[in-house]
Amino acid sequence: MAILALLFALVAHHGSRVSYDLTRTVTLNGVIKEVSYTNPHVYFTFDVTDEKGKVTEWGAETDPPIMLERRYNWSKKYLKYGDKVTVTVWPSKVGAPRGFLAKLVTADGHILDHQEQPQQ
Amino acid sequence: MKALVALVLAFAALGQPRTYDPHDLSGIWNARTVRGSNFSLSAASPPMTPWAQQRYDAAKPGLGPRGRPLGNDPMMICDPMGYPRIMFWTNYPIEIIQRPERTIMFFDWFYTYRTIWTDGRALDPDADARWYGNSIGAWEGDTFVVKSNEFDDRTWLDADGHPHTEDMTLEERFRRVDKDTIELRMTITDAKAYTRPWTSEPITLTRADAKTKMREDVCVPSVEQRYKEVMRNPAGGAK
Repeated sequence: MAILALLFALVAHHGSRVSYDLTRTVTLNGVIKEVSYTNPHVYFTFDVTDEKGKVTEWGAETDPPIMLERRYNWSKKYLKYGDKVTVTVWPSKVGAPRGFLAKLVTADGHILDHQEQPQQ
Repeated sequence: MKALVALVLAFAALGQPRTYDPHDLSGIWNARTVRGSNFSLSAASPPMTPWAQQRYDAAKPGLGPRGRPLGNDPMMICDPMGYPRIMFWTNYPIEIIQRPERTIMFFDWFYTYRTIWTDGRALDPDADARWYGNSIGAWEGDTFVVKSNEFDDRTWLDADGHPHTEDMTLEERFRRVDKDTIELRMTITDAKAYTRPWTSEPITLTRADAKTKMREDVCVPSVEQRYKEVMRNPAGGAK
């Protein structure tokens, strides 16, 4: 419990992080639809197709650009419409297909691994 | 023994020419608050007046101990952070520009600035309220003392939603403690909101590395609105 509380303290930082369940993650494969690489929150949406062919639009948000660039050497160029991605998120507590980004792997191998680099 | 070590260190320091001008605060800096100060002056405010308590209870922060989904933090609609709150939002660099008649603190977050007049003028008690206050500064020894008044009362003092009135005054003491560090302490006096002055934990400004640039990290209302529709509201369960 103390570890959970610590994890929460490390990640609870801004915006809607309090909306997410930080005790579990969900991993999804999808195709990028919308990318907003802006302040104060970077977010993107992506279509996930299940085995029956049903498409669900998911959304993931993360830190502002300055933090992504400082901490993960991330670049705005790494993500664009139509890209295939593997996304791990801490999901919305209310069950919406939304999450806070834990890990992103792009088709050309760029990785943003939030779990290994906790917040200030 | 401790005294001897201190003496030896003091002599060693005497032999070292100081490589900086303590009255030069210019440069790009990264601010840092002490751990546990909760994006505020300190973890806990002085006791609030009934007026302030009412305002505080109406504030619904998005982060910190009272953080809940959604909420009404003015930052979430890109309203100006105001001063001093912008100093506690430490992800973004601050550039200090000194001229003989004024010192400018330029904030990358919101891409905005405050002017601290150093031309000998007095604080105008009838100045219009500003998001970032009205400020004058003067050197007391090696400490740059800034006095400010007339802060727009629509701002929160911190992420936790502490209020203030337009009668609030702020005193800041900036001191360059070494070549790459400025230490800042601030004290808020606002008798209509707090039963005694509120003095901050030390805030450290560390010189940014050479590759740090002032960017243009503005908060754009239309972008924030879109973020709210696409992410914040669905994730938080807003209808």
